Amino acid sequence: MITYDAIVVGSGITGGWAAKELTEKGLRTLMIERGRDVVHRKDYITEHKPSWELPLRDARLSVGTKGAEEYPIQARTGQFRESNKHFFLKDAKNPYVEDKPFTWIQGDQVGCKSLIWGRQVYRWSDLDFEANLRDGHGVDWPIRYADIAPWYSYVERFIGVSGEKLGLAQLPDGEFQPPMEMNAGENLVKGGIERAFPDRHVTIGRVAILTQPLNGRLPCHYCGPCERGCSTGSYFSSQSSTLPAARATGRVTILPNSVAHSLIYDAAKNRVTGVRVVDVVTKQAREYEARVVFLCASTLATTRLLLSSTSPRFPNGLANSSGVLGHYLMDHHFLAGASGSIEGLLDHYYQGNRPNGIYIPRFRNLGDDASRRVDYVRGFGYQGGASRQSWGRGGGERGFGVELKRKLHDPGRWSMGMTGFGECLPREDNYVELSDKTDDFGIPLLKIHCTWGDNELAMRKDMAASAAEMLEAAGCKNVRTHDAYRGGGELGAEPGFAIHEMGTARMGRDPKTSVLNGYNQAHDVPNLFVTDGACMASTSCVNPSITYMALTARACDYALAELKRGTL
Amino acid sequence: MSESNGEITRREALARVAVLLGGVISAPTMAGVLDAATRRAWATAQGWAPRTLSPSQLELVAVMAEHIIPRTDTPGARAAGVHRFVDTLLSDHYPTAERDRFLAGLADVDARARSQQGKAFLACAPAQQITLLTELDEAAYPVSGAGAPPPETWFFRRMKELTLVGYYTSQVGAAQELHPSPFGAYRGDIPYTSVGRAWS
Repeated sequence: MITYDAIVVGSGITGGWAAKELTEKGLRTLMIERGRDVVHRKDYITEHKPSWELPLRDARLSVGTKGAEEYPIQARTGQFRESNKHFFLKDAKNPYVEDKPFTWIQGDQVGCKSLIWGRQVYRWSDLDFEANLRDGHGVDWPIRYADIAPWYSYVERFIGVSGEKLGLAQLPDGEFQPPMEMNAGENLVKGGIERAFPDRHVTIGRVAILTQPLNGRLPCHYCGPCERGCSTGSYFSSQSSTLPAARATGRVTILPNSVAHSLIYDAAKNRVTGVRVVDVVTKQAREYEARVVFLCASTLATTRLLLSSTSPRFPNGLANSSGVLGHYLMDHHFLAGASGSIEGLLDHYYQGNRPNGIYIPRFRNLGDDASRRVDYVRGFGYQGGASRQSWGRGGGERGFGVELKRKLHDPGRWSMGMTGFGECLPREDNYVELSDKTDDFGIPLLKIHCTWGDNELAMRKDMAASAAEMLEAAGCKNVRTHDAYRGGGELGAEPGFAIHEMGTARMGRDPKTSVLNGYNQAHDVPNLFVTDGACMASTSCVNPSITYMALTARACDYALAELKRGTL
Repeated sequence: MSESNGEITRREALARVAVLLGGVISAPTMAGVLDAATRRAWATAQGWAPRTLSPSQLELVAVMAEHIIPRTDTPGARAAGVHRFVDTLLSDHYPTAERDRFLAGLADVDARARSQQGKAFLACAPAQQITLLTELDEAAYPVSGAGAPPPETWFFRRMKELTLVGYYTSQVGAAQELHPSPFGAYRGDIPYTSVGRAWS
């Protein structure tokens, strides 16, 4: 048995943060990662590779195509392509059982999904933290905006966030580097929307991508596809940011190719004493001991680990005296919105591949009468952008030969699109459990039960209709709504697609109805912390990662204070 | 396209980044991007031969693609290797059913040529080939309001789409006919006349 001060399970966005914080505070920390090692810069094998050097020209590898054979689940997401498939899990390595379609997108490397995430970062507000209390869905969050605000600032200063301050109560401003520019089409639509709807705002996305140098990382050079990896460290990833900080302390040990099999629990002390690990290559089992354990393995992997760590004291999963572990699974629902064409502006263009779009903050159900909806609770924001049509438009129009080639020498007309990201209600009957099958390491597979409810489906109608209404008000032509949700088990926009899976080990005030307290500490087991998406008691409508980061840093600070007090 | 050509492009691109960032790009960054393993991974295979298309099918694809994107003051689809790209996609990406549908589409082009001109498509004069392709094009893209294109016109739409992808993502199409957007700054609103052509 090898002993550390702390063990962190997972090396993605929250695992990296936990390792950085714990090691900087003096703890010798072991980081356990199921996937292979990925070395910053060296292993970004497709970065800056021109299209003609990719044999399939960076084809989207959809389900059923050659090249996607080993990724039948991962290939469901539009993010999965020839140039980044090596940063996704080969599904046979970590299968699961779907009761109804649930798309579980997974990384399988050091850095995990921090290498391929969407990089959009928005603070929550008290509109979000008070939502469960106000409308009675889920349990009340044990924290409020004031508890987490300084930690958002702490995180933003380290990761680097570019964006524009708006002074909105529902979308608090942060510590921003200068925003990226909007293009001419977006500015035109922004003007039209804000004139027609004074309570709505169009802004550039707030992104964890640098526009100024920070801690040896360089500002974005606008090559475009961040998810191939970034040698200049311009976007936040574990590789570019938290792992170098943890390594600089000399106190971190990173253990790739190592599956966390189960947690070791000492009933006499009521403490987690360590983690059982299986080597992915040799299948050899080992045990590591620590005074405190942080689970940052990703929402569903963390909950699976807790569910499969049973003992006489916790026969239904570790720290599950409440019985809610596994329940209240959520994801954002998206892929409902609208698009249209913009007339004119043909003498305007842009330069550089901006890895960012526009954002329209939530304007529904803000607590006043004007924004109240009767058909659903909570709200949504939009992400989108404008661009000029590329050469691809030639495939949809009549004509070929010299005339077509001449036409495609110029960009086409402008078009603008947007899709909503909607809040999902916490429901007990959206849950995961252990199936009777096990994987190669003897760990039971997860069985996932999750569907959208009436509230999500009602909100989607408004997401599409309001997008169309705004585009028309801004003067767009040929406005068309879209909604990828089909229902009936058909894949399109089923839960999981937003890759914002949250909940299943929620925070709360009452140990009888929640797994974690206000510091992400297990109510039942004091030296056990969960700081990834599993901890979430609701989803807000904004992208979740920066909230996970802030919660992680805050939980590490608390854990250190408690270690010093001797309570852990 | 040789490896060294691609290498120069990347060096130029990186040099441009370094200049735009005030020369602050670090030595490890350059080394990381250009290390030997990366260069090996980027190398293209030598001695190419089709794996799905027969020599005559390959030539049929090359001829049709060149009609769709012909040589002008820049090279056309054939010089850009669109036919090779199509063979690669059919071999390494298309599900079997889709591949077979494409191959049936090729056979259908020949059958149309035989019934109209009494000879295989490749044996027709260029003007006759263009007449045949114009018929396929008009059937595949009905005038607006005429509803969805008939399913039997799938092949020509796919052929045109593959030609455009193959051409405009090739070095010829992406860096000679068009230009890639340079690395460096993002400018959201510039006069189109300052560029004068679409970014690839």
